[in-house]
Order: sequence, then structure tokens, then C-alpha cells
Amino acid sequence: MESLDKQIRDKARELLTSGAFACVMGYERATDGKTARPLFAYTPEEAERFVFDQYCTHNLARYLINWRDNKKSVGIVAKPCDTRAINLLINEKQIDRSKLYVIGVACQGIMEVGWGAPTEKLELRCNTCSEPNPVLHDLLVGEFKSESPAAAKAYADVAAIEGKSAEERDGFWQEHFSRCIRCYACRQSCVGCYCQECFVDELDPLWVGIKVAPAENTVWHTIRAFHLAGRCISCNECERVCPVDIPLSLLNRKLEKDGLELFQFQAGMDASVTPPFATFKKGEKLGTGD
Amino acid sequence: MARIGVFVCHCGTNIAGVVSIPAVLEAAKKMPGVVVAADDKYSCSDPGQAHIRAVIEQNKLNRVVIGSCSPRMHEFTFRKVMVKAGLNPYFLEVANIREQVSWVHSNDKEKATAKAIDHVMIAVAKVARDEALFPKRVPLTKRALVIGAGITGIQAALDIASAGHPVTLVEREASIGGHMAQLDKTFPTLDCSACILTPKMVEVAQHPNITLLTYSEVRQVSGFVGNFDVEIVKKARKVDSKKCTGCGVCWLKCPEKVPAEFNEGLGTREAIYVPFPQAVPLVPRVDLENCRYIKYLEYMPGKTPGKRPMQCRICEKLCPVQALDWEQQDEVVKEKFGAIVVATGYKTFDPSVCGEYGGGKLPDVISGLQLERMFNSSGPTGGEVLRPSDGTHPKTVVLVSCVGSRDEQRGRPYCSKICCMYTAKQTILLKEHDPEVQCYVFYIDIRTGGKDYEEFARRAQEEYGALYLRGRISRIYEDGKQLVVLGEDSLMGRPVEIRADMVVLATGVEANEGAAELAQTMKLSHDVYDFLTEAHPKLKPVETQTDGILVAGACVGPKDIPECVAQGGAAAAKVSALFSQEMLTSDPMVASVDNARCIGCLLCVQVCPYKAIDTQVLRNGRTVAVVNESLCRACGLCPAVCRPKAVNLRGFTNQQLLAEVNALWQ
Amino acid sequence: MAIDGFEPRIAGFLCNWCSYAGADLAGTSRMSYPSNIRIIRVPCSGRVDPLFVVKAFQQGADGVLVAGCHLGDCHYNEGNFYSRRRFALLAPFLDYLGIQKERFRLEWVSASEGRKFSDVVSSFTSDLKKLGPRSILSPGGRE
Repeated sequence: MESLDKQIRDKARELLTSGAFACVMGYERATDGKTARPLFAYTPEEAERFVFDQYCTHNLARYLINWRDNKKSVGIVAKPCDTRAINLLINEKQIDRSKLYVIGVACQGIMEVGWGAPTEKLELRCNTCSEPNPVLHDLLVGEFKSESPAAAKAYADVAAIEGKSAEERDGFWQEHFSRCIRCYACRQSCVGCYCQECFVDELDPLWVGIKVAPAENTVWHTIRAFHLAGRCISCNECERVCPVDIPLSLLNRKLEKDGLELFQFQAGMDASVTPPFATFKKGEKLGTGD
Repeated sequence: MARIGVFVCHCGTNIAGVVSIPAVLEAAKKMPGVVVAADDKYSCSDPGQAHIRAVIEQNKLNRVVIGSCSPRMHEFTFRKVMVKAGLNPYFLEVANIREQVSWVHSNDKEKATAKAIDHVMIAVAKVARDEALFPKRVPLTKRALVIGAGITGIQAALDIASAGHPVTLVEREASIGGHMAQLDKTFPTLDCSACILTPKMVEVAQHPNITLLTYSEVRQVSGFVGNFDVEIVKKARKVDSKKCTGCGVCWLKCPEKVPAEFNEGLGTREAIYVPFPQAVPLVPRVDLENCRYIKYLEYMPGKTPGKRPMQCRICEKLCPVQALDWEQQDEVVKEKFGAIVVATGYKTFDPSVCGEYGGGKLPDVISGLQLERMFNSSGPTGGEVLRPSDGTHPKTVVLVSCVGSRDEQRGRPYCSKICCMYTAKQTILLKEHDPEVQCYVFYIDIRTGGKDYEEFARRAQEEYGALYLRGRISRIYEDGKQLVVLGEDSLMGRPVEIRADMVVLATGVEANEGAAELAQTMKLSHDVYDFLTEAHPKLKPVETQTDGILVAGACVGPKDIPECVAQGGAAAAKVSALFSQEMLTSDPMVASVDNARCIGCLLCVQVCPYKAIDTQVLRNGRTVAVVNESLCRACGLCPAVCRPKAVNLRGFTNQQLLAEVNALWQ
Repeated sequence: MAIDGFEPRIAGFLCNWCSYAGADLAGTSRMSYPSNIRIIRVPCSGRVDPLFVVKAFQQGADGVLVAGCHLGDCHYNEGNFYSRRRFALLAPFLDYLGIQKERFRLEWVSASEGRKFSDVVSSFTSDLKKLGPRSILSPGGRE
């Protein structure tokens, strides 16, 4: 069997040679010789630099929005969680499926790359991953897995927080939120955060006070997470990029967990399913207002 | 710069007796933007209104808060004061300090005063963010569509047409007339149904303002009040109605006979036919399922069972004006209407599901409508009441009321309203047709609300000798040539057995076939029985939740002829009132989209209950949402789901609501 | 256990057609209830953006009430079905963040239910009194 790198390079070269594609997004080796960084290949020659391994951490679907109004097509190398992000964008009419070529990679898990050196530890998202295969692809590379070993413990950490008392939860989150410096890296890295102007930047009305204070930070984090309710695909980029280590994934996955229980909905699994807040069932029992 | 005036109403002692008005005024003066605070004994009274105007003018106010009764009471009154004072009426907020403060917190004056101050503060915060709003004027098409040409639709169409407006009257069947055309005589006057209906039918056909589309159905409705776009399918009759003279030679010579629907399955009709002799228009249609030539054309060797039928085409050969047109296809008509009257009527309950009445298997158990057809001299029996089994005259007839009405088990708990009266009428007519007939009526209650109704029902018993037995029937079975009816007389508390020659079931009223689908096409709501829902059961009986669409007659619920006529007229009056305007004024408190913010996720389009949000492509190629202001009903679902806050609802904007939240506790 | 002298603050978002009218009816019928609620009128419970609820807590609310027409009776046919979905997810999320789920209520009060409105406010107020003030740590919390 051909190596992943070769399969990706061959396909990328073919796409870029065809002339119909503006760009193919994937990964290349970073300057440290070990980790990977995004590569935007515009010419067949550049396509020779594509690699794929356990250090290809970025969710490149974040960049698809930049091609929204482009006439040409784009190609993308996408891990399973990234393909869910693509489905989200298709569902929200941000990208046209017919102008997209997805090289889906069946994933073995991604290693943590923090601020320092790469580690041999799996990313949190991989430890809680429920879908190890691309949910959407035009070309599949890598080995298809029959099931996810991590699916069972997907929400164990969320349940642990739920088990705490209200006082403890309050204290836990206030401690984290008080550290927030409101750099908005979480938002910038998020596939779902593509609004032209985020509510937090709005001055009239002023939803969130400009002052970096716990009260304002709480509003920001509550609504940031709630705006991703039924939309977050758990790629966990927000938490990875957070400079003060706020466990944002605990917020997102709480909403994902409840969304699954209440609406049997998980974002990005199928682009044709109506998101939970845009539909309802008359007789459903939701535990609130029944 | 906001110059806000706060006016606090004493409402006599209703507010002032609980809330400390001086304290509220004192607090109001310190609120941001407030330049003056004043009080009135009664703000809504003429002197109160004059005082408000004077204070507005003296202090050059541009925004006003009135602390008084609920805005549901007097918001409109105070808006008019604003206009008189030269201000935009939407620069006004009403703080509810009576219904929601003084009347519920009279036991604690201090807390009531604190809450009143907070409610005034919330209103002050909101009014500062109010915007001037201006109603829009939109043109309207002064042409009405009436769906259904029974007596209700006929009346509505005639009244609208007589008011001078063009009307298109659409009927699903081949002739207008509806159920009333099937009836022989009508209660309580016993005048002949055809004698009073056919003149109206002819008037419809001849009215210069009425376009009649029979054998046609409404397929699609879009748009909004004053501007509905409607698609109507004119089904192929295979007869050119422009050429046809209605001479009748085609149906007289047609060899194919099938059960006649108009006669409720009694007797037969031909495969080219008019439903009844007085049909309007008097143009036959070819029954595509039964016509021999059509069967010949559609025969597919190997697929269609049986032998290929003979080509018939006798109608075509005999037609003196060559009106038969085998090539005729369904035609779609697209038209614009300003208003729509839905008068789709009803159907009767199918008693074959009722085992106790023979389950539709006993030939001499018939429905009330079948008996009507027998009474009728142009009906299947030429006006004779005959037993379907052997054609003899029945001497003992049992009539059963509440068949498919007031029957919880069969999902028809409601009263069908007309059956008590038509049963009484039928006992009278049976006696008049044959004085030897004895009628028995099984009933639960005799409901005769209506002018001269009770007297009529009494006459059936006292003068015509109908015997009324209170109770239900448990079983009917055949015994020789007769039917044995087992029932109960619950007044006497004993079982009853009657040997009858014929049983007549007073079948109840049901929503018509396709009523629910039609309702969905027009976004009208219907109840669990598929009857259409009126805007208000008492005060808006012919209006619906959709402006410009009216409902009338039995499609809303069981009704007798006078009520249907009255409702048809009422709907017509509403249409005429609508059409008396040159332009329509639309409420300015609707949603709007900020194109620069809109990301085109179109979540708003998905949640809008009124399909009031469309998309538009901007010059830079981006697709964004756009609100059709005439369709928007200002529910505010769209701004609540909009993440980038691109959609806003005028009158309840994000700015206004957030200002209120921020002002909750000072 | 109720804390002495603690008067909870309740923010109420009432739909114009049912619940606001129901609150008016409570007044017309002189049905007394605790004065702890402050009322904001909205066209439909479906208009209430979760942001308003979060902001109300930030402003110091001890409890937030969203009330609308009964399911199936919405003036706009289906607005309350959407608001139910939204708040069915928001309420446990706020709980997760430390704002107990007893502090948020979604109720259906019709225009004829003045009694129900008064009962809802009474029971909500007494529940909040038992719960006590919000933690001083959290935004909008009080000493």
C-alpha cells in the first residue's frame, strides 16, 4: 500500500493540475523537523510538500470560509473531526459541496503539541473521540476503523463536573474565567465562529463589557459556548490555543452531551439534518417547559 | 439628545392609593435622560391627555414614558397623544404600575412603590433606545378568490361581486351548488332547496364580475394580504366549454353506467355527464376512469388486465357542435388576488364503520342524504321513497340521530348541529309522501336552537306523529324482508325492538376531504378534526391568523344553511372593507436584516412561522436574508436565533431589550 | 432553610399575548403575589435570546422567569416550541456553570390564568428564598 503522504500528494497534484482548483489545503513538515504546519498549495509543485502524520493537529476547515465566494474549487486534507466541521459549514450554507474536494484521512489520533516540544501523549479530543472515520470524503486515505475505542469515555470529565455541588461548580468556573485575558484565540481558531462581527465586539448594544473582569468574562464564555450549541464538532482547537489553559472543551462537550440526550443531535454528522434550534417536535419531552 | 418626560397616573386611587406618587416622581427625575416628571389624576382622560401634550410642548420632549395601567389598555390612546403633540408615536413606552404593581401589592406600599420605580426605570431605559417608525404603504390587488362554490361560497362571491370587485370562484366539482343542491326541501320552512338555490347559481354564472372555474382546484398560494399569488389547476373535462351548448345528447347516448355520486350511490350516471340537471355550468365532463374510449387509449397490452376495450366515441359522433376534445389537458392558471375566502364545506360521516348499523351491508339502511335524493323528483327514484332492496314503499321507518356525532369512541365528540333538524324534516316529508308511514326517531337530545326550529320539531311529533325514543341503537339485522332494530328507550328504562322497512341514519358533519392539505397550502391552522380555525371563535368568526384570508361556512365547523349564508356574507363584507382602501398600511414593528452583519446561515428562514424571510444575493455575491415586511408578524423568533445579531425586531430591538435588562435593578 | 430578610430578585420575560395578559388578569382580579418580580414585555417567548437571560443574571437576578403561551396556543403558532428547545439546553448549562437550575423557570401561562401567574411568582419567590442569594463569587452575586 502506498504511503499516506504519496496518496495525498498525488491527488493534490492532480487537482491543482486540472486548473479548476484554487488551492489545496493540507500539512507540511514544520521547521522543527518533527511537528506539522498548515500548507496551502496553489501549484502542482507545492503539492510535493504534503505530509500527514500524528502531528497534523490543525483543523483546516477553519480556512474554508475564506473561499466562500470564490469561483474556483478548493481541496482539503481533513481528519474525521475536520470532516464534521465541513458538514457544519455545508449545513450553514457557508461552503458549496460541489466546489470542494475532501481528502479524508482515517485518523490514528493526534499527539499533543503544546507551547513547548511535542509530546507522545494523545490530544484530549482523541481520548474522547466518538467518530474515528471521516464522515464525508471524496477520497479516503488511511485505514477505516470499525469503532472508536474512546467513545465510551467521551463525557467522563463532563460528568465529573456535573457531580460537583453548585458552589463547587461556581468556584471552578469563576477561577478559570477570572484568568481569561479575552484574547479571543478560542474564537479565531473555531470553525463555527465565522460571523463578520462577533457579539462580543459589538458596541451597540454592548453585550459584554469592555473591561476584562470575571463578570464580563463569564458572559463571554457562556454565550460563546451557547452559540456553538448544536454546532461544536469537538475538534478542541479553542482549548488547544488558549494561552491561559481554560478547559473550554468542558463547556462545549456539556452542550454536546445534553444535545445528544435531548435532541439526539450531534453536530456535523450529516449536513442535511436540520440543527436542533431550527426545528422541534410537538410531543417531545425536554425536562424544561413540558 | 433624548429629552424624556415621565408621566405618572394616579388612576384615581387605583395606583395612588398604594404607590407613593411623589416618591416615583422624585426617583424619575433622577433617571438618565429625564427632563421632567409630572403626574395626572387620570392620564387617559381628556384633561390628562391635554396636560401631557402641554408638558411635551413646554419642555420640548422627544420621548415619553407613562406610568399607568397595562400597555394593553391604553398604549394606543397615548400613541395618539404623541401624534397630536407632533412626535412619532413610537417614541412612547408605558410602564405597567397598576395591573402588575398597585393591584397586586396593595398589602405592602413600600415594596409596591419600589417596584413601580423599577418599572418606570425599565421603561425610561427602553424609551431612550426607541426609534421613529413609519408605517409602510403597499398596493393591493382588488380581486378576490373564493374557494368552494356551495351556498357559502356562492353567497360570498355574489356579495363581493355586487360590491363591484372581480371575483374568481373555484369549485372542485363539475358544477357549483355543493350539498345544498342535493337537498330536496329545507327546514324549517320546507321550501324547495333547488327553488332557492338555482336562482343564485344562475346569478353567479351570469354576473359580469364573477369568473367561474369549475372542476378546478387551488394548488398553491403564496404572498400576503393584498397580494396573493395563486395557482389554480383547471382539470381537463375533455369537453370544450366554449362550444358545448349543454344539449345533453352525449350523456343520453353514452353506453357506460356507473353509480352516481351526486345521488349518493343510488342510481347511475354515464361516463360523460353533468352531476344534476340544473348544473351550472351545464357542460358535461368525461369521467376519465370509466370512459370506454379513454380506457381504449390507455390500454397497455400485457400490463392492463383483460381485453382491449372497443373504441366507443359515440358522444363525439353525436355532438352537434364538435365539443369533444380528447387532446384537452389540465391547465394551470396563475393569478393575483387581494383576498381569499375559503368556503370548502364539509362531507358526511361514513356510517359503514358502524357495525351496530349493519356496517354498510344492509341495503335498506340508508343515509339521510340518500333519503334526500329519493325525495327529490329529479333524483334516482323520481321522487318516490323506495326500499333499495326491492323497490317497495316502506311503511315503518326508523331514523337514527347522532351517527358520527357526539360519539367519543369514533373520535367525533362534537355535535353536528344540523341532524336533529333534518331528521325532524325527514319524518314530515316521509309522512307527506305516504300518509301510511310511521316514523320512529332514536335520539340522545333534540337540539333545536334557531328561529322556528323548536316549533318545527314539535310539529313533526304532534302533527305528523313521529315517535321519538330517547336512546341509542344496539343492533340492526335483517329478518325476512324486514329489518329488526334493537335499541333502548332510556326514558322508560326498557329495551325496544322495532320491525322496520327502512332505517335512515342521520350522519354527522365532517371536515371535507383535503381540507387539512389546503389549510397547509395557505398556512391556516385547523383543529384535530381538520376543521379550519378562525382568528377568534366569537369576535373574529370569519377571519384567520393570516390577514386577507377568510373562512366561512361548514369548513370551520358544522353549520346550517342560514348560518352559512350569513358567514359567506360576513366574509364578503370583510373583503369589501379591505378593498375599500387604495393602499394597505403595514405595521412598522417588524423584523429587518442588517446586510453587513448577515452571514447567510439562514437559520432565520428555517424558524420563521410565516415564511416571511427570503434570501437575496448582494452585489458582492454574498447571499443574505431579507424580510418581507408584509408577511412578517413580528414574533421575534428570527432575532433570537441570529448569532451575529444581523436580524432585529423593530419595537423590541436587541438595543431596547438589553437596555431594559440593564435597568432591572439600579 | 430560608435566610432571614433575603428578598430575591426575579426578572420576568412575559409574552405579550398570553403571560403578560395573564399577569394583567392577576391584577384585575386583585390576586396578590410577592413583589420580587420585575417584568419585561416581549412579543413571544421565542423572542427571548439566551443572552438576555445571561445578562439578567449578570445584572443580579436571583431567578429568571420566561413565560409564554401554552404549547400549541402560541399566538405565532410555534414560537414557544422553539423557546422550549433553546431553554431546555440553556437551563442545565447554567446549572453546570453554577447557576442552579431552580433559578431559571420556563412556564406556560395563558391570558386567562391570572391565578397561575400569581402562583408561579409566589412559588418561585419562596423557592429562591430557600435557595438563598447567588454566590458572591459569581457575577451578579450578592453578599
